[in-house]
Amino acid sequence: MPWLLVLPSLVLAFAVIGYPLYEIMRLSVADVSRFGQVRGFVGWGNFSRMLADPVFVAALVRTLEWTVAVVGGTVLISMPVALVLQQDFWGRGLARTIVMLPWSVSLSMAAIVWLWSFDGNHGMVNTTLQSLGLLSGPVQWMALPQTAFPVEIAVGILVSIPFTVTIFLGGLSSIPGDIYEAAAIDGATRTQSFRLLTLPLMRGFLNIAIVLNVIYVFNSFPIIWVMTQGGPDNSTHILVTYLYELSFRLGRPGMAAAVSLAMLVIVFAFTMVYVRMQSREAA
Amino acid sequence: MKTSPFAILKGTAAALTLWALTATAPAARAETVRITAAYYSAATGPYFEKMASEFHKANPGIDVKVEVVNWDNLLQKLQTDISGGTNADISIIGTRWLLDFVKDGQAEPLDGYMSPAFTDRFIGAFLKPGEIGGKTYGLPIAASARAMYYNKDLLAKAGVASAPATWDEVVADAEKLKSQGIAGFGIQGKEIETDVYWYYALWTHGGDVVGSNGKAAFASPAGVKALTLYRSLIDKGLTQDGVTSYSRENLQDLFKQGRVAMMITAPFLINQIAKEAPNLNYGIAPVPKATQNATYAVTDSVVLFKNSKVKQAAWKFLDFLFTKDPRVEFTKGEGFLPTTKAEAADPYFTGNERLQTFVSLLPNAHFAPTVTGWEDTAKAVSDAVQSVYVGKAQPEPALKAAADQADQALGK
Repeated sequence: MPWLLVLPSLVLAFAVIGYPLYEIMRLSVADVSRFGQVRGFVGWGNFSRMLADPVFVAALVRTLEWTVAVVGGTVLISMPVALVLQQDFWGRGLARTIVMLPWSVSLSMAAIVWLWSFDGNHGMVNTTLQSLGLLSGPVQWMALPQTAFPVEIAVGILVSIPFTVTIFLGGLSSIPGDIYEAAAIDGATRTQSFRLLTLPLMRGFLNIAIVLNVIYVFNSFPIIWVMTQGGPDNSTHILVTYLYELSFRLGRPGMAAAVSLAMLVIVFAFTMVYVRMQSREAA
Repeated sequence: MKTSPFAILKGTAAALTLWALTATAPAARAETVRITAAYYSAATGPYFEKMASEFHKANPGIDVKVEVVNWDNLLQKLQTDISGGTNADISIIGTRWLLDFVKDGQAEPLDGYMSPAFTDRFIGAFLKPGEIGGKTYGLPIAASARAMYYNKDLLAKAGVASAPATWDEVVADAEKLKSQGIAGFGIQGKEIETDVYWYYALWTHGGDVVGSNGKAAFASPAGVKALTLYRSLIDKGLTQDGVTSYSRENLQDLFKQGRVAMMITAPFLINQIAKEAPNLNYGIAPVPKATQNATYAVTDSVVLFKNSKVKQAAWKFLDFLFTKDPRVEFTKGEGFLPTTKAEAADPYFTGNERLQTFVSLLPNAHFAPTVTGWEDTAKAVSDAVQSVYVGKAQPEPALKAAADQADQALGK
């Protein structure tokens, strides 16, 4: 009976997930023209070309850096922000709204605004840093990968914070207040109660925040595409921008399908390993 | 007032009769032609809407539906539409993409539709790029060439009397401008046409992008000289700061603001300057030469899709678009060069000194060749010059590596 009840949604899920997956698999082993015409079967050809492309390998490594840096940064910043916003203080509603606001802006728009802010000539960032005396002259942030990529990571962190803080606030509100009182009576310091009470009780929420953020950030296209299009000289490509360029600039949907399958496998493997690891620790 | 039920019945009956009459009338059904147009400027959409309604007035049986798409997304949109079979009947495309369309059998050969009189409307050189294997697939709807814009006030301030004609003069003048704190020669280092901005130097040094054997030819001594020239301009501080953060539009903006003294781009900047920086005192000169004169000429093509169900009607609309008045209005509004003889004879063009500079460069113009792998070549070259601009690589090895990469795709 329960199976019967979930059947319709299962069928729907299989259709919605299964059909594109089937298409991608079909394209990934085919020689596909720019306009989607399948010209022939190439077996592993697309995959071997992908692995032989130094840009792919570099983008793969950079995707991992990007994901770790953005998700790590987001979680590290969101936790204290959530703890502060959990406190009862005057103007908390306003502060919460301000933290949530970036969420309501689409990623592409946010990226465009930050691109302007980091403009070398008129950008708000250069102007501010110069008037504070931190910079002697304007910096062309987007010209070199060693500045452009960290800026993109920072923007990535910034736009991921609202979502993560929301999860954490939900978690914090589920922790009863009296255990902290009890701990305080027993002489626990604030750091101790954070480490020994808050963190363990937040574990589930922390995990969800990490897994979801990894999936989002790993696949996040707009920030990098809007700010540098993966350049200069491919030095800020992550897999998803590389994939887009392959498919729509260079007209190789087959190879792009192979890259997207590789991405799927990576995200899937990460999620499996992470969930397995966490449930084992919890047991 | 009260309407009697009978009156309603009567009305309904009348309506039904009318419906029956029209439904059984011999097919006076309007045909709909859909066109996908590229967004050139804010004037593009209104222009095509106007043409559609004028055309409809003259041909009441044909409706034209216009869809305007950004250049950056155009190819992606066509790709998606075609894969899904929902593409328009006609579309503007970059001529450099034409080969892909033809190879996949998406574009209809137009020779059967073109009468000798129709063919004769065009300036011959602009029809050539739309021909593949002896057949015409694309009609040149827009054409441009490139020339150097220079800011007269900035040059005068640095004591330079006239626009430099050679690269050596560019370097010398840029040195003088630098001593006044002005960025001399602007270089584009980002996004679409980053490669083209370097081809100006390549061609004027006597090099070429693709050789007559169909292989990459840009890693030649001329290419190395050209790239070394740009690199030295950057190293000496004779360009704007942070070359690789400037797209073509960014660089044009810099010129409009009077923050760079010289740059190379297309005629449409004239219209933009007239609108956005009317007080800018500037002139237009040929692309500086090293050993020879050269420029880049580009056409955009309009193609008819093979799967269109209304080819005759679509052709009729194309025929209309390429008559004199629609052409003059389009070319004037967007700031392109005339592609038909009739518009070229229009006083607006014959009396326009700035546009004439561009026209005079056409005999030495290089068109993008219609070869497979052109996009890959463009990408490989863009990457290579970027790596040199940021100081990551040296000109010769960077170009050699790019040539190897381009050869993997060229002609395949």
